[in-house]
Amino acid sequence: MRMLLKISWLNLWRNRQRSIVMIIAVMVGLWGGIFAASFMFGLLDQRFKSSIEQQVSHLQIHHPEFLKDYNVKYYIERFDELYKNLSEDDDVIAFSGRTKVNGMLRTATLTTGVNIMGINPEMEANTTSLNKNIVEGDYPDDSFRNPVLIGKSLADKVKAQIGSRIVLTFQDSERELAAASFRVSGIYQTAATGWDEMHVFVLQDELNELLGYEKIVNEVGILTDDHEKSDAFAERYKDRYPELEIRTWSEISPELAYMQEMASMMYVIILTIILMALAFGLLNTMLMAVIERIKELGMLMAIGMNKKRIFIMILLETTFLTLTGAFLGMIVGYFSVAFLGKNGIDLTAVGAESLSEYGFDPIIYPVLEPYVFVVITILVILTAVFTSIFPALKALRLKPAEAVQAE
Amino acid sequence: MKTVIETKDLTKIYNSSVAPVKAVNKVSLDFVEGEFTAIVGPSGSGKNTFLNLIGGLDKPTEGQVIIDDTDISGMKESKLFDFRLKNIGFVFQSYNLIPVLTAKENVSFIMLLQKESKAKMEKRAVEMLEQVGLSEKLNSRPGQLSGGQQQRVAVARALASKPKFVLADEPTANLDTESAFNLLDIMSRLNKEENITLIFSTHDQRVIDRARRVITLVDGAVSKDEKFESRK
Repeated sequence: MRMLLKISWLNLWRNRQRSIVMIIAVMVGLWGGIFAASFMFGLLDQRFKSSIEQQVSHLQIHHPEFLKDYNVKYYIERFDELYKNLSEDDDVIAFSGRTKVNGMLRTATLTTGVNIMGINPEMEANTTSLNKNIVEGDYPDDSFRNPVLIGKSLADKVKAQIGSRIVLTFQDSERELAAASFRVSGIYQTAATGWDEMHVFVLQDELNELLGYEKIVNEVGILTDDHEKSDAFAERYKDRYPELEIRTWSEISPELAYMQEMASMMYVIILTIILMALAFGLLNTMLMAVIERIKELGMLMAIGMNKKRIFIMILLETTFLTLTGAFLGMIVGYFSVAFLGKNGIDLTAVGAESLSEYGFDPIIYPVLEPYVFVVITILVILTAVFTSIFPALKALRLKPAEAVQAE
Repeated sequence: MKTVIETKDLTKIYNSSVAPVKAVNKVSLDFVEGEFTAIVGPSGSGKNTFLNLIGGLDKPTEGQVIIDDTDISGMKESKLFDFRLKNIGFVFQSYNLIPVLTAKENVSFIMLLQKESKAKMEKRAVEMLEQVGLSEKLNSRPGQLSGGQQQRVAVARALASKPKFVLADEPTANLDTESAFNLLDIMSRLNKEENITLIFSTHDQRVIDRARRVITLVDGAVSKDEKFESRK
């Protein structure tokens, strides 16, 4: 086997120019595949992270009726007990209890529908990145009454600034209309402009008071130490709180899970297409290599090198050719993704607004999962085996008596 | 003397269904151990086909090829590979060495296929290359050797596996006079000293003049079978 390995490797360099061209083709093809995959992973990874950190969290707990009717009267009754359990749970990094109500936001110029989120600023800051997304003003605190945090796209829409007064109108616990004046204390901006336009944040205690409750929580957002644990975590809490609706991120935003599955599938499809295109180049190279060596192959058969060894030799040559290119492609891919993963690819100039509308950040940081290299290696070896079959069969069909006489 | 090869009514017909050509026509011959035979004849006389048949590279349409009491005429292809590897040495007109391997590796290669140990393989390869006068070219690749030297490597390769006989197809055709004589000297010496059975297919008078047996084929049949025992 060592000699076969040596012959196969040396045979690769008999036509140096042709092999180098093919190796470069494989290298560039795989680099392109790796880059495209890492770009896609980066895009979706950011989308996933921003959705989890800014909106969804890993799990959400509600009164089951609240999800149907969105009425504040459907609040979590055993919240104090839930609070204690979540505080003591090692899997929980942070959680935030919110009061949620639909309402209208009115300024001197415009009225629009919004979701009013009553938050405990400290708990919310630990659970979501709301405090990090402030682009103007301050994160709400107790320094003045009725502060409100609004999204930048909403501020632009209603022409509000820091200090502007806005009126929020909503139904209270008695289904009576309640209205209160709030002052814009801060403006936040996330990657999702649609979300920003629809959500305003006020202090939970103040909202509860306006709603006519002393202390209610309609929604608990939970951040665990690993999103993979979400399902098990949900099952555990469903046993403890059968009266509550406990949903994981993949149930709340199925498109996130779908996008992740799609990304893995797309990546394999992209690589398969690239390798299929390269397979024809490889096939051509190996066919040429066989046709040029008919006499030599005839001699090898004549002196007793059996068909199995001839096949292995051609398979090894194709594998070496492909793996050399693949190895170089993976190295170039790794370093380019490492560089861009650190510095990012700024797409602001080519459509930041469009990306934001779909919840994507305009600066993409490509991400490369280690398993990508395993998948590439397997696919490359499969390609090599696949492309070596035809040239090998051509070699095996040779008749030694005729092949040794070939010109 | 022991018979190494026996052919019985050996016949090879090409294009049998359209226009049958009898390349070899009912040839019955015996080759004994240590013979130095030249198969001669005009182009198309069937020399190469006959050599291919007794070398197990082609299958006869009729008749038998018996090598050392084994009938190879109906042998399966997979077994023929193994049979050739263990019993027959080949020297080709255009050397047919593996260009990426050194002279020593080219000679070792056949023993590698026979699964010899590395030490034995190396020792035998060096011995054989010394015998053909190439002890200083062990690590040279074919591209670094002259035509005559490449053919001597091919002879060393053919003999390295200790075959029962060596088939040489026009081995001197591509060589200049000096290289041809040099090669023939080496092969004659090995034939006499090591009692190696040599069968040449040739047009070359220099080879014919050294052979102790000359078989002339015409239209696939034996026209003359002459022995020159006095030749040394």
